[in-house]
Amino acid sequence: MFETLNDAIDVLSICTASGVEPLRFRWRGTVYRVVKVSGRWHQREGSSLLHHFSVECAGGDSFELCHDPRGPRWTLNRAWVGAAGR
Amino acid sequence: MFLLVDMDAFFASVEQAHHPALRGVPLVVCGDPERRGVVTAASYEARAYGLRAGMPLPQARRLCPHARYVEGNPEKYVSVSLALLDLYTRWTPLVEPFSVDEAFLGLRGVGVETLERARDVALEVQAEVRARFSLGASVGVGPNKLIAKMAAGLAKPGRVVALSQEGFRDAFAPRPVRELWGVGEKLEGRLKELGIVSVGDLARAPAGLLADVFGVLGPQLRAAARGEDRTPLVPYYQGVPAKSMGHEVTLPHDCRDPATLEGVLLRLSDQVARRLRQEGYVGRVVALKLRDSRFTTRIRQRALDRFTDEEDVVFRVARALFSSWWNRKPVRLLGVTVSMLSPRPRAPQGLAFPSERRTLQLRGQLDALRDRFGEASLVRAAALHPLERPRHVPFHALRHRRI
Repeated sequence: MFETLNDAIDVLSICTASGVEPLRFRWRGTVYRVVKVSGRWHQREGSSLLHHFSVECAGGDSFELCHDPRGPRWTLNRAWVGAAGR
Repeated sequence: MFLLVDMDAFFASVEQAHHPALRGVPLVVCGDPERRGVVTAASYEARAYGLRAGMPLPQARRLCPHARYVEGNPEKYVSVSLALLDLYTRWTPLVEPFSVDEAFLGLRGVGVETLERARDVALEVQAEVRARFSLGASVGVGPNKLIAKMAAGLAKPGRVVALSQEGFRDAFAPRPVRELWGVGEKLEGRLKELGIVSVGDLARAPAGLLADVFGVLGPQLRAAARGEDRTPLVPYYQGVPAKSMGHEVTLPHDCRDPATLEGVLLRLSDQVARRLRQEGYVGRVVALKLRDSRFTTRIRQRALDRFTDEEDVVFRVARALFSSWWNRKPVRLLGVTVSMLSPRPRAPQGLAFPSERRTLQLRGQLDALRDRFGEASLVRAAALHPLERPRHVPFHALRHRRI
């Protein structure tokens, strides 16, 4: 099932013409490589626009990451705890 | 020509597109799955077990215990919906959001005049939605919005159905009148009393009889049954004046504690008033919705002597209605709505006293803080309760979108 986390994470990302995109991130000591960004959406929080990503990683794990340009900082909001919640 | 693009099981499909573990399995999108509530959306795999939107979660769990239950994310669905509207503007600027998962596309004026060409466009739209978002869409095509909408109903899930006016009559004449867009249970009952059972019966009914029984609605019903509709498409950039604004919440547990319930009413009143101010409205009627643990629902309303967008005024009326109508049974759901809306006048009226000016200034400052830091950044202490956590409210994002 989904685990709601909101953990601060380190993310290796790339900036493209269409915005920032996560490539790898470290969570609980493990580095996950993003194999697919399966969804993206935005959320206004006050005057800031948060960028959300659904990402698929090797092994079928999926996560929801959030990039807050204030800071900037990344959080891992939700994880699909199938293989991921180790 | 018009298209009605209707996303298939939208919320559930978004979650399935975003998470591989949810694909191909019965999926229920709901509130917090650990608490009680209702099914917000069910995937087609879950619908095979009889699950439907609005069904209480315990019933859903009995019917399909192995389904996956995930908490919905309204901001995500609104954002995807906006991205879909962006996509539709590739084909036409005449895009009217009809709901979070439906939109009309007007093809007149962009060189699409025939049903066949409109069907081709519908197939292109459907394919592009699949390619870009991994989402399924059903598309209805017709010479007016009514036919496009009803054709989309025939297209679910995942097909394109194009109907001319003649095709509409052939397809719907034998069908129950309830299937006509806009005919609900009560209207169906009244039509049955007149011997009108099918859409075809309604199309053939004497116009005078319908006008006598239903007034101005009578001829409109008859025209609709014939596939006639002159409703204009209202593009997203024009917007439609709001008629009412409201919020409601199903409590995580049935509650009979007056302080807790008043706190919920205060939070709902605050949300409604904030939304009124954000969208530039004032309202004159406050309604309270109260559902008890036996699912008995009461809606009571009261008119104010002046228009307002103030949470204190809305709350006072909502609380008074609650005090009058609450029968002390455990409460399951509360809602607050403000209606009879009017655009807010530019200069606030009736500020004769310094205290009123101070209140207005204070409200302006508090609004500015929440505009900057988010809705949950400032919450009335009396509205705080462990039963509910403050959340961001996606005020009618579709209405303010500038594509």
